[in-house]
Amino acid sequence: MDAISLIVRSIFVDNMVFAYFLGMCSFLAVSKNVKTALGLGLAVTLVLVITLPVNYLLENYVLKSGALEWLGPQFANVDLSVFSLLIFIAVIAAIVQLVEMVIERFSPALYSSLGIFLPLIAVNCAILGGSLFMQQREFANIGMASAYAFGSGIGWLLAIVGMAAIREKLEYSNVPKPLKGLGITFIVTALMAIGFMSFSGINI
Amino acid sequence: MALNSKTKAVLLGPLSKNNPILVQVLGICSALAVTSKLEPSLVMAIAVIIVTAFSNVIISLLRKSIPNRIRIIVQLVVVASLVTIVSEVLKAFSYDVNKQLSVFVGLIVTNCILMGRLEAFALGNGPWPSFLDGIGNGLGYGWILVVTGFFRELLGSGELMGYQVVPQAFYDAGYENNGLMMLAPMAVLIVACIIWVHRSKNKDLQEETN
Amino acid sequence: MNRESNGYTIIYAAVMVIIVALGLSFTHQALLDKQIANENIDKMQQLLRSLNITAGADEAETRYSELVTNAYLITDEGEKIEGTEGTTPEDPAFSTELGDPTAKGLPVYEVSIDGKNVYIIPMNGAGLWGAIWGYLAVEDDGSTIYGADFGHAGETPGLGAEIAERSFGNQFEGKEIFKNGNFASIAVVKPGQVDTRRDYVDGISGGTITSQGVDKMLLNSVGKYENFLTKLNRN
Repeated sequence: MDAISLIVRSIFVDNMVFAYFLGMCSFLAVSKNVKTALGLGLAVTLVLVITLPVNYLLENYVLKSGALEWLGPQFANVDLSVFSLLIFIAVIAAIVQLVEMVIERFSPALYSSLGIFLPLIAVNCAILGGSLFMQQREFANIGMASAYAFGSGIGWLLAIVGMAAIREKLEYSNVPKPLKGLGITFIVTALMAIGFMSFSGINI
Repeated sequence: MALNSKTKAVLLGPLSKNNPILVQVLGICSALAVTSKLEPSLVMAIAVIIVTAFSNVIISLLRKSIPNRIRIIVQLVVVASLVTIVSEVLKAFSYDVNKQLSVFVGLIVTNCILMGRLEAFALGNGPWPSFLDGIGNGLGYGWILVVTGFFRELLGSGELMGYQVVPQAFYDAGYENNGLMMLAPMAVLIVACIIWVHRSKNKDLQEETN
Repeated sequence: MNRESNGYTIIYAAVMVIIVALGLSFTHQALLDKQIANENIDKMQQLLRSLNITAGADEAETRYSELVTNAYLITDEGEKIEGTEGTTPEDPAFSTELGDPTAKGLPVYEVSIDGKNVYIIPMNGAGLWGAIWGYLAVEDDGSTIYGADFGHAGETPGLGAEIAERSFGNQFEGKEIFKNGNFASIAVVKPGQVDTRRDYVDGISGGTITSQGVDKMLLNSVGKYENFLTKLNRN
């Protein structure tokens, strides 16, 4: 199945964090303990799964060169791709706010655990990165785009939870003074990324 | 305009003591993936400097008129428009580099430095200090990219800006390019080394916990 | 005026959207010609690279017009389509993309270089993440490869993306597309392995799926030119 292979690939092979370093800011800031890391990871996955299909539809029916043809043949040559960046980021910001309101209304418990992360997510590179990669890779249909969104989100979640687990253990290590905190986190990220590269040959 | 000591601090602080990457931990996201060569790193650095400077100025000029409720969206729109312009200009005048940077030009939008500086500085200061703050933070970010790109290209392919710098005699004597340097994780490792050196020199920046 | 009122917010947003839309459209229009020119030069550079010539952006156009003597579209049967000749970017051969459903034929570029007649054919296919493409320069026996160049939209840096490096393209030089008189194309194998049925080159280690994509592309895209190449081969 193409979709399953795409999911596996985007989790392990082209992991958002380890292959492209997207979403590093929140990755570094929120990976101090496993529980908050899990919360942020879930929020990222949720927002990715919602925004990416929406942006996919916009890209293919509004923005792409010739995408407006369904309005009539006179629109066949309209190319709005110059606005794609603007539209993508606006959609993401709007959806993040919407998700925030919906969660707050229907699940206060979830809101209290995820809510604080949601405003952060609008400017999380992994989310916009997902949409831009979607545009570049020209997925065949909306199902594939959603599968990619899901895989990337889970990949990001896996990365940040793994990182948080390592950092919790790192508390007890004797790290050279100048490397404490940020420095050692970078090194651990690099080593994890090299580890993830061993997945690169897999083919499903 | 002469620089008094305060504006000087605004401009020069981000280069070291208040560096966006090394100290504020902002904006690592997009750019590390483009540092496998010096040239794209340099172009990326320049693009970020331009966008930080001008988005800071624009938001600073608008700061008294922006409705608070749509503040974030206004900031994003300003930044996204500037980035689109930069990307269009790159496509027209530096096509090769634009191809190498691919989606990462667009990702400048979500570079945390931008939103971070807009929120923390431009909303509360006039256009001129904001401009300097933008340039300073862009530079502070840029020099790290350039240093990373320098080492990766030198060690990874023995070239700088596409010109061979490691002499053939070295290869004849058994020297080999380190292919590992071309892979993405090495960018992070080099930044870690920069942090190491930087914090050994600036002891006050060292953290207490891991 | 009240900054937080609904009316103000809506007007503010509307004015901003109009200004931004006008600004971006203007920039786009102003730079469009230059961007198209760049794309054309980029394509010429790729064509030249398949002839083992690395030309800078400034000299690509002159080298291209020096070397490429003719370009035209051919039918699936390998016949030249009348009225499609011409080498400039506006002519059908240069502006036709392989795989475009509305295309009238398959583009071929004729080149004379070092006293040899060489034919360049474009290829396209899919890698791990998106489109991959390339140009294959074939000598006038229709079989011996003069050179090859590959490009990609977004393969993994350091792995699949290596197909765009000259070290990968250079391997194709001198390989034969026809084996024992039959069309066989070129195989891309895992480094160290051999293919006894076809001429082969080493793939990219760590870039398995991209390498397989190149292999498939060589079979499919070059396969479309089978009749054309067979004719050259028989002559």
